[in-house]
Amino acid sequence: MQIQAKDLTFLVLISCVIFLIAPVAIIIYVILYNHRKKKHKEEKEWLKTTFENELLKSQMEVREQTMQTIAGNLHDNIGQLLSLTIVTLSTINPNDPSRVAKKVESATQLAKRATNELRQLSRLIHGQELISLGLAEAIKFELDYLRAAMLHEITFDSNYVPKGERSDKEIILFRTFQEVLNNIIRHAEATAINVAIKQEEPYLTLLIKDNGNGFVEEEVLKEKKGMGLFNIQKRAALISGDVSIITVPGSGTEVKIRIPY
Amino acid sequence: MQAYITINTTAEFFCLMVSLFCLYKDKAPVWRAFILFLLITCMVEGIGIYVHHTLRQPNFAVYNVFLPVECFVQNCFFYYLYKPYHSHKKLLVAWLSLFAVFYFSELIILHFKAFTSVTSTLLSVQLILASVYYYYLLLKEEKYRRLSAYAPFWWVNGTICFYFGGVATNVFFSYLVQYPGVFTHSARYIVFNILNVILYSSWAYSFICRYRQKTSRSSF
Repeated sequence: MQIQAKDLTFLVLISCVIFLIAPVAIIIYVILYNHRKKKHKEEKEWLKTTFENELLKSQMEVREQTMQTIAGNLHDNIGQLLSLTIVTLSTINPNDPSRVAKKVESATQLAKRATNELRQLSRLIHGQELISLGLAEAIKFELDYLRAAMLHEITFDSNYVPKGERSDKEIILFRTFQEVLNNIIRHAEATAINVAIKQEEPYLTLLIKDNGNGFVEEEVLKEKKGMGLFNIQKRAALISGDVSIITVPGSGTEVKIRIPY
Repeated sequence: MQAYITINTTAEFFCLMVSLFCLYKDKAPVWRAFILFLLITCMVEGIGIYVHHTLRQPNFAVYNVFLPVECFVQNCFFYYLYKPYHSHKKLLVAWLSLFAVFYFSELIILHFKAFTSVTSTLLSVQLILASVYYYYLLLKEEKYRRLSAYAPFWWVNGTICFYFGGVATNVFFSYLVQYPGVFTHSARYIVFNILNVILYSSWAYSFICRYRQKTSRSSF
């Protein structure tokens, strides 16, 4: 069989292309994979920045919440107590010694109560730093402060053991807890609040239950009143967690946040 | 004189010039060694043509002598490329020893009267595998690299294309040597010309990348 010159040229060209298909395919694959690596790296950086921003926001919100509580307490409790003390002291009549002792005693009691409130407040300021002792300690402190108002029956159960160094996840979870607690205080009209932390490797679950009004989740989200709910879900997603909300109007709400820990 | 100016020699000489310009002041001796290697390649090609055209003698002996040099340089460079990931010194020594055994055995079997084609094919297969392994290491690492300007990547690209194409040509085209092509050379020779152009263009580009990387670093 004779091969024509034209056929030979064609055969050579085709063969060259065929022989180079495999190495070229490998090279293209490496380039494409590398490009994906670049995209993945960019996404990771974006997520890291978002996480850091959210962390900073959470820290600031925790601080803001503390300041609000302090301002409210100073105005509603300590301010009132001191005003009462001033009124009591100003009504003392030196010409009526029989009532002086009683009024001084009353003023002393009021001053003592004001001092106690101040002590509580000062603990609350330090409470910001409590998160460094661990999530359970911070939540316990927050609940103790709420318990002092004697408006709710509060239980707290935890098997949480801090993992040494302070975790950024804890700050975000703590802020989420505050958001849920705020919702209960503002809208739920609850009389009992049960909080539990369950640490079961590799998850950490935070459970917050109340016996308040409850709500219809879809309606709250539809009426755009649900910024708190949205924030809770967004924050949980940021720390790779998931949120489940079980609520029945009139029967209370159960919020369960589970994060890998 | 015209016999000395072929596509192969032009590509090799062009690559030598690029290496001389780009790698002369390179800090890594392994990159600088390419100037010497390409100089030897050009000389071997020149001697090969001289023996074939002027002396009218078979020139396989020239290429037989060049084969161990090629093996040593290419493998040392691959060793240098793998070094940031992990060291394979024992593997390098083992492979060079195995190559030596094959090379001398074949030379003895052929009574030093033909080209050591089996050893050459073995070297090609090993270099293909080495290239693929380098790609694997590149894929495995988390770090993103700008491959369009990454010198080692382009060096490996040229190497894998040349040796893959070379092995395939040698295996499937042996019979085509019998048929004279339109360019007065065998079909295999034409394919090798194309492969050589791909190899030396990739290498030249790789040297340019290396040069640019070096100058952009020193400008900071």
